[in-house]
Amino acid sequence: MDLQLTETQNMFKKVASDFVRAEAPSHVLTQWFLKRETSQIDLYRKAAGLGWSGMVIPEQYGGAAASFTDCAVVFEELGRGPLPGPFFSSGVLGAQLVLEGAAEEQKKSLLPAICSGKSIVVAAITDKGAHWGPESVETRLTRTSGGLVLDGAKRFVFDAEAATHFICAARTESGGIALVLVDRGTPGVSITPQVGYLASVAEVHFDRVQVAGANLLGEIGAGWRILDAALEKAMPILCAYQVGACQEIFDFTAEYTRTRVVFGQPIGRFQRVQDHCVDLSIHLDAARYVTYETLWRLDSGQPAAASSHEAKAVASEAYYQVCNFAHMVFAGPGTDYQHPLMAHSVMAHTLYQYLGTPLQHKRKMMDALYPRANA
Amino acid sequence: MDFSLQTDPPEIAPFRKEVRAWLQENMRGSEHLRWSASWSTRENDEEYRFRRNLAGKLGKKGWLFPMFPVEYGGAGLTFDHQLVLETELDRYGISLNHVFYTLARIVAPVILKWGSEEQKREFLPPMVRGEVSVWQVLTEPQGGSDVANCQTKAIRDGDHYMVTGQKVMVGHHLPPDFLWTLVCTNPSGSRHENLGWLHIPANLPGITIQHMHLMMGIKNVVFFDGVRLPAKYLVGGENNGWRVAHTHLELEHGGEGRVGADPLVERVVEYCREMKVDGKPLIEETNVRDIIADMMIELHAVNLFARRNFWHRFVREPHPYGGAQFRYYQRMVRLRNGERLQQIMGCDALDPDHTVHEVVDFEYVVRSGPGQFHGGGTLDTDRLIFARRVGLGRPTKEKAPETI
Repeated sequence: MDLQLTETQNMFKKVASDFVRAEAPSHVLTQWFLKRETSQIDLYRKAAGLGWSGMVIPEQYGGAAASFTDCAVVFEELGRGPLPGPFFSSGVLGAQLVLEGAAEEQKKSLLPAICSGKSIVVAAITDKGAHWGPESVETRLTRTSGGLVLDGAKRFVFDAEAATHFICAARTESGGIALVLVDRGTPGVSITPQVGYLASVAEVHFDRVQVAGANLLGEIGAGWRILDAALEKAMPILCAYQVGACQEIFDFTAEYTRTRVVFGQPIGRFQRVQDHCVDLSIHLDAARYVTYETLWRLDSGQPAAASSHEAKAVASEAYYQVCNFAHMVFAGPGTDYQHPLMAHSVMAHTLYQYLGTPLQHKRKMMDALYPRANA
Repeated sequence: MDFSLQTDPPEIAPFRKEVRAWLQENMRGSEHLRWSASWSTRENDEEYRFRRNLAGKLGKKGWLFPMFPVEYGGAGLTFDHQLVLETELDRYGISLNHVFYTLARIVAPVILKWGSEEQKREFLPPMVRGEVSVWQVLTEPQGGSDVANCQTKAIRDGDHYMVTGQKVMVGHHLPPDFLWTLVCTNPSGSRHENLGWLHIPANLPGITIQHMHLMMGIKNVVFFDGVRLPAKYLVGGENNGWRVAHTHLELEHGGEGRVGADPLVERVVEYCREMKVDGKPLIEETNVRDIIADMMIELHAVNLFARRNFWHRFVREPHPYGGAQFRYYQRMVRLRNGERLQQIMGCDALDPDHTVHEVVDFEYVVRSGPGQFHGGGTLDTDRLIFARRVGLGRPTKEKAPETI
């Protein structure tokens, strides 16, 4: 048992923390969220230059061959921003999907470009806003005399506007799911931002898009298995981002209880305010330790499917609740888009939904641990 | 990070083998016993004798306090050895802290930190070897959380203290050998500067113990009626009790940590696999699975908090707020789990099952939910400590006391 970071990890942490502070100070970052400029492609490419895209990808494909925990330490700092941009969607999930599902030749051509930040490859998974299971894949992939044709509309595609390519989950004629790589510039592809209490999310329409057979990732019918395998490894990194966000909120909320004076004393002297902070800390630390335990499982080669779903459920719930408790402490000032808490609140709601809600992941955790008799 | 509890360094592996074999041998004859929780409602004398005997055997090998120096009754071993002992005992539903009912797990480290050399040599070995039972007696009738405001007085009289007063809600159903307590040694002194910490032999004249029947089992009232106590039993020096209390309370308030996990979920799943409604096992019901998932996730977080605190304690970097946070959360989770059990299993959750360990007996879990709110300070004391440690509304943060 050893619950501290290594020296190298502390160094990663420091570099990432300095990067976030220098590149996205809170007065700048809050404007990005207010003006919906959350793609931040240049910033992402700059970070990719530091090796933060495809961190866990083997060196032979242009990655940094880092451990999952190493990568998580960087993402924790990014989450403190919360730094928007396709750091997770392309640099972690996109890269992992290619690593898990693509043929050797595809890996050689795709991964170095993802790792360098040149290509931004984003998964388009669900056709229904409310569900992320295989049954919600409705976009169709059909074989015609002229090749494969993709037809449908994907919802909740995270970082779609920044993407250069999509990996689209599609239903084939045989009923199986296939993953197809689609260049954003292909005729028939259009992107409509989803504007609401969300950040960086869009609908992506594939209107009778022609796809070359060489763009299939893995075999037809293997799509969901590849997605599951990639998500198991990628999700805990997203959880680390959420943990970092929760830590940042905890820190600035505790500071606010010292400086905000009402009724003649700092609000932190009121026990009711203290109670909010206690509950906030519990969500933060539950997310932190469940996440890092999952990362340790991945790094030490243990089965991690149930843990990964658990971490996603706990970290998404935590980020959401932490924002709510912080709003109780901050009251009015916390609802101003110029305050970083608003950026966090928007991001927390987005990530609560992204890849499935806590309830959906809890059910997947249970199914992994205690399969149903008729499953 | 490394969360493993059982991947031993190569030099430790033989020790695990040795401990496992030793326990197999020495747990023999306990198969029919109905294990009870630390604060038990079962009051089973046969079980108590077995456990106390087992503690004596473990103590003789120095294994109750494996990291304690040999001269004080420990085994002078390492953190890794301690992990082996914790995890191997956990296989039997027993923890190193509660082999039998004694507060030695807290008292011994406090004496190690605050006792004089003479006191350590005299008090520690029998306690560390599991030969004596020590009760912590802090709560008084007029209040529990405000321990510094204690009314029990110990007035110096030559080389003795005259102890007079009353402590409540302490101990369990069989008598102690020592009473470990905070008293007022200087009634005219200012708050926190007027206290002393005493280690009192329980057989002194003037001490009377009476049972109290509480929600979670038997506790006691202890009366001190002009007890003449030799001054050598004052630990930590004259009017220094509050600083001793800091160490004691940090350990009691969650800072000691734990590595064993609460096995409640496994038992719930077992029940839900066996219990069929309309021919279908409960475990197949979506709403039941959702409730179990919440129990499991919260208990897992409780366990990780405890493990974190354990690690921080033994690397000698006490977590600033971990103890109080853990205590508050654990108690709220236990309360919620009581309700969850009732939702899942209906009135079976109110029916005791003496064939299983008390900690997974559903009735005990339901009943003890609110019962464990006050032991070792209330939920509100936990949150108050948290606030001070984080420095909410304060320019400075109170430091977590160092423990051993």
